[in-house]
Amino acid sequence: MVSVTLENVTKRFGNVVAVDRVSLDIGKGEFFFLLGPSGCGKTTLLRIIAGFYQPEGGRILFDARDLTDVPPNKRNTGMVFQNYALWPHMTVRQNVEYGLRMRDVPASEMARRSQQALERVQMGPYADRTSNQLSGGQQQRVALARALVIEPDAVLLDEPLSNLDARLRLEMREQIQELHRDLGITMIYVTHDQKEALSMADRMAVMRAGQVAQLGAPRTLYCRPNSRFVADFIGEINLLPGDVTSTDPLQIETPNGPILSALDSTHKKGERALCSIRPEAIHFLPDGEDAGSDNVLPGKVRHVIYLGDVEQYNVDLADGTQVKVVEHNPLHRVAAEGDNVRLRFSPEAVVVLPEETDPC
Amino acid sequence: MLKKLDLTPGTLVFLGALLLFFSAFLFYPLWYAFVKSVVVDGQFTLTFFKLLVTNPVQREAILNSFRLGMITTLATTVLALPLAFLMVRYDFRGKSIQNGLILVPMVLPPFVGAIGMRQMFARFGSINLLLMDIGVIAEPIDWFGGGGLLGVVILEVLHLYPIMFLNVAAALANVDPSLEEAARNLGSRGFKLFRTVTFPLMLPGYFAGAIIVFIWAFTDLGTPLIFNYRQVVAVEIFNAVSDTNENPMAYALVVFVLVLTVFFFYLSKAVMGRGRYEMIARGHVGSVSQKASTRMTVIIHVLMLSLTAVAILPHISVVLTSISERWFMSVLPQEITGKYYGMVFDHPMALSSIKMSLMLSIFSTTLDVVLGISIAYLLTRTRIPGKGILDAVSMLPLALPGIVLAFGYLAGYSGTILDARNYPVPLLVIAYAVRRLPYMVRSAYAGFQQSSITLEEAAMNLGASRWRTLREITFPLILANLVAGGILCFSFAMLEVSDSLILALKDEYYPITKAIYSLLGRIADGPYIASAMGIFGMILLMVSLFLSGRFLGRRLGELFRV
Repeated sequence: MVSVTLENVTKRFGNVVAVDRVSLDIGKGEFFFLLGPSGCGKTTLLRIIAGFYQPEGGRILFDARDLTDVPPNKRNTGMVFQNYALWPHMTVRQNVEYGLRMRDVPASEMARRSQQALERVQMGPYADRTSNQLSGGQQQRVALARALVIEPDAVLLDEPLSNLDARLRLEMREQIQELHRDLGITMIYVTHDQKEALSMADRMAVMRAGQVAQLGAPRTLYCRPNSRFVADFIGEINLLPGDVTSTDPLQIETPNGPILSALDSTHKKGERALCSIRPEAIHFLPDGEDAGSDNVLPGKVRHVIYLGDVEQYNVDLADGTQVKVVEHNPLHRVAAEGDNVRLRFSPEAVVVLPEETDPC
Repeated sequence: MLKKLDLTPGTLVFLGALLLFFSAFLFYPLWYAFVKSVVVDGQFTLTFFKLLVTNPVQREAILNSFRLGMITTLATTVLALPLAFLMVRYDFRGKSIQNGLILVPMVLPPFVGAIGMRQMFARFGSINLLLMDIGVIAEPIDWFGGGGLLGVVILEVLHLYPIMFLNVAAALANVDPSLEEAARNLGSRGFKLFRTVTFPLMLPGYFAGAIIVFIWAFTDLGTPLIFNYRQVVAVEIFNAVSDTNENPMAYALVVFVLVLTVFFFYLSKAVMGRGRYEMIARGHVGSVSQKASTRMTVIIHVLMLSLTAVAILPHISVVLTSISERWFMSVLPQEITGKYYGMVFDHPMALSSIKMSLMLSIFSTTLDVVLGISIAYLLTRTRIPGKGILDAVSMLPLALPGIVLAFGYLAGYSGTILDARNYPVPLLVIAYAVRRLPYMVRSAYAGFQQSSITLEEAAMNLGASRWRTLREITFPLILANLVAGGILCFSFAMLEVSDSLILALKDEYYPITKAIYSLLGRIADGPYIASAMGIFGMILLMVSLFLSGRFLGRRLGELFRV
């Protein structure tokens, strides 16, 4: 188990900068996620850590060892590929034993360890099959066993669940999390699925255009995004632009009325800003009830979408801006289409973001 | 993968060696022939190119070669187009068998077929005698009147129509059915639909096939030689080899053929590049073929079987010749014997030629396998400068007529340590290897492309070095392709005609094909032993094509396309 440090790592493909001066410190035994839309450089970064790409600039360290110029076969990482990459000309057992053979592990120990690794992923009975006799989920388990059996310094997972169906994905999520808990090994996991990252990560880095947009624990990234991009990419968000009229308390004047925020911010008076509010933080204020210190905005329900566990209301504000409101499993419909409503949300739920010129 | 380019010292050395190899054995011989054709006695001159037109002998040879090429191309078109239509557009029982049968004539070398053809269509050969017996004709027909052009054409057509078929069928299958549906929707049908929509769409594919067939017939040496049809370019070049004094005329002819070939292949590429319409309208994969009715199925089978029967007639005749004790003035041999097969292993020239061919082919195949795998690896798995050039150069021999290269070798290296007049083995090995290298590169290239690169990365990630990954992961995965490519290289080398005829000039170094040619010229039992050897050759080629077909599956056909 090692800590993984990236220092100013840069990688270009032709004129495209795939990874742009990325620095990260991933702790020993941490379950770390690289999250981002396709093309953001997350897979490239993982492949740089694995040694398949040589960065044009920067260093990669495992603990204090500089691995920048070490070939992939000397790095002792265990990688799980998106397409599993099980060798079709070998049995499951041979696949799992391959890394041990490379390390000249004696035959008896090799047999013991591969069996143990296969049993850990419930693939013991399938040891003598070939990979094309396995289902997708089974192949994924074998790929995991193959990566783990060598007791790697770090496990690298490249969108390992993206080829599985939804139910299996949930099951595998738990299994991988369990493996991490049991083995305490450093794991770096690439995904574009925010739910995967939120539910499993110790910490995560959201990437955008080759750079780390924000780094932190799942809760931090969800509740305190530092940019419109991060707020938008993780979960759903309502964005209301306005001008900062006061900093203590922080108040933003929007076309639909003033909005108060109780969160820290570096915004100055007179600046443009975006108020971001999660849909589940907004509630309907019943007629005649007082909102107290909460923000209140009037609107009209345009559309109601029933999704089972939640019900989503699309509400038009006075100036036409559309806002999403989500109620969790309401026992009865809270508002109907065409209703005039008042929306209330706590100043604690308002994250004020800088207004970006480039919305992406 | 490492750094910007993968230029390890090993790669650099290999690239340097490749450059040297191709310079010495591909470009230098061609360049030498070119220089010799325009520089005579230290003076630049175009006299010999003028002579190509003005000298009646040369002009006649060129015109004959053009006739041969054109007629063969037209005839194969007429045969292959309807065949392709039936095979692509209809589903019927036994389709896969017919798809295999159609390739049979191609696996039988025409050079061997020519021997049988001569026997069958001779003045008092089986065909004439049969026709006289049943009273259709009174006098024997001179089938090879007109100097033998007809016989050569027939044999070329029977040998080459499968190549045309492969190209045309692929082109037809690539035409998006919705484009035809659109035309039908607007009221077009039948031949008009074919002429206005289908044929224009498949034109690039047809053109590619037509050019291969044309160049093949234009430059084929073995068949005209056996038919004694000497007034063609290939034979003229061959004759110049035995000339004691260097005749610049031969160089001019070689350069002429080379320029013609390059021109046609350039044309083919240009047409192919411009005309890839068939890809535009991809969207749905509608079924192109319809179920054939019982009557249609019977018609197709009868048509295909009779064509195949005619196509292998010459080879049946070779079989008969090889087992006939006496065959004179009768439809079938009067007595049969197996002794000529025994004599193949007794006759000094026959036996030594088999040993010679085996040795040459083993060496050349080894060279092909090493070079082919390395080139394909560099092309698919590394980032090196000049990839496009490497690709083009290693595919070039596919387009290069055998006589051109062989003649360049003989002339370019005469008087050096590699002089084929003294000891032809090194040049023969290299000639075989260079000519068949494209098959190996293509097979290996396809293999590398099919096997996912993450399978190799997974091995490296688990601690395998590059070399070990190659040995334990990549090679086992693409073994089928490598074996198939190797088999093809080997069997083509065993039966290589033009290189062998031109480069092997001493009895003791004759490979099989040259020995067959030489034996045919002898009276007494020569032709019978030659036929028996031809049968061995046919069996070898059939078995190896069958084997590589098993390994490559449907991809076998792709090897014979541009």
